[in-house]
Amino acid sequence: MRIINRELTKPWLHGVISVLLGVFILLAMISFPSLHYIFVDSVNTILYYPEKPSMELRNIVKYSSNWVLERASLQERVSKLEIENQRMSEALQRSGVVLPAPRGSYVAAKVTLRYPEEWWQELRIDKGRKNGITEGAAVTSEGALVGRVVRLGDNYAWVELITASSFFIAAVVDETRDLGVVNGDNSGNLKLLYIPDDRKLNKGMQVSTSLMSELVPPGIPIGKVIAAEASKDGFAPMKLQAMAHLTQIYSVEVFSSSEANK
Amino acid sequence: MILSALIWLLQDFVQVFLMGFCIVPDVFLLFLVMTALSPETGKEKQIVIIWTAFIGGLLWDFRWTNLPGLSAAINGALVAISCYVWQKIPVQGRSVLFFSFIIFSVVFLSGLVHFMFWTIPNQVAVRQFLVQQFIGFPVVAFASLFFWKVNYNNA
Repeated sequence: MRIINRELTKPWLHGVISVLLGVFILLAMISFPSLHYIFVDSVNTILYYPEKPSMELRNIVKYSSNWVLERASLQERVSKLEIENQRMSEALQRSGVVLPAPRGSYVAAKVTLRYPEEWWQELRIDKGRKNGITEGAAVTSEGALVGRVVRLGDNYAWVELITASSFFIAAVVDETRDLGVVNGDNSGNLKLLYIPDDRKLNKGMQVSTSLMSELVPPGIPIGKVIAAEASKDGFAPMKLQAMAHLTQIYSVEVFSSSEANK
Repeated sequence: MILSALIWLLQDFVQVFLMGFCIVPDVFLLFLVMTALSPETGKEKQIVIIWTAFIGGLLWDFRWTNLPGLSAAINGALVAISCYVWQKIPVQGRSVLFFSFIIFSVVFLSGLVHFMFWTIPNQVAVRQFLVQQFIGFPVVAFASLFFWKVNYNNA
């Protein structure tokens, strides 16, 4: 007995006993699975609440990283689709197909004011910032470009007309893909500038907006070529006839894209 | 004892957080070995530490492994072996480097036995084991530094 008591003070013996006891417990738990489940359930129940913050933190990190990865993947996909869409739009325009304007993203508005002395320069509409309209957004009437938003309040917006001399917009001749700039003269006339005079543009060719910004989608008809003016500095300005009925504008549509509203 | 329980809980919380990514190094066992090898720890306290390691291992098994008793046996054995080896080395030889070797061996063997028995060896399990050992290095280094600061630097 004394020998046992003396030996029991040695740590190595307790190590051996702990190993044997561990093996015994292992065998017992294998032999009696129900006992095993009782202990496992008890320990897990006790630890459920203390572990909760750690579990929540883990979920937050996991979902955040998933969200970031998913977002990056979606952004990459959107970029690819945008490029593909742009190429297809260009291919369609090249083959002479007139692209319908994306009507779903337009805000309908009524003309509330048009000063006689600025008849060809600007008009006011009854929709503004609260309706999702942003500065620079394209304004159309029956699908044809009439101007661009230049100033806006919460419930109104001022539209600079395509016939204003201060109006410049990048445009493309649908049939030839020649690029130029459409400009007004404050008198109801339109010109397509910067077309090299060796380019042969025929009467009746349609000019549309080109890919310019998120606020002005491509393919909105602006006008038709009616004549070429005298060449100047190697460029021959083209006279255009506006597609929109600029003298009969009562209501318009303002382009509103999600990107523009950011 | 309370500190041991807190370290066990800390290890458990970290394991919950890193579940599926890696198996955390056995910090609880490391702490107990560190305490057992401290010059101030007598044989009686070493025995208490062996059984504390056993109970902690048993609870760990009930929480994380499907082999209750395995971690308990490993913990008890590793603490006892560490104490035995430490006692057999002359006092002059009980350097920090040797201490580091012992605790690194403890962390490595504990991880290895769990890897062999607990998991189905595959690529994921190997990765988890390697990550565990990789995390174990700074833990061992920190423990060695702490051991040196407490037991040698102030001597």
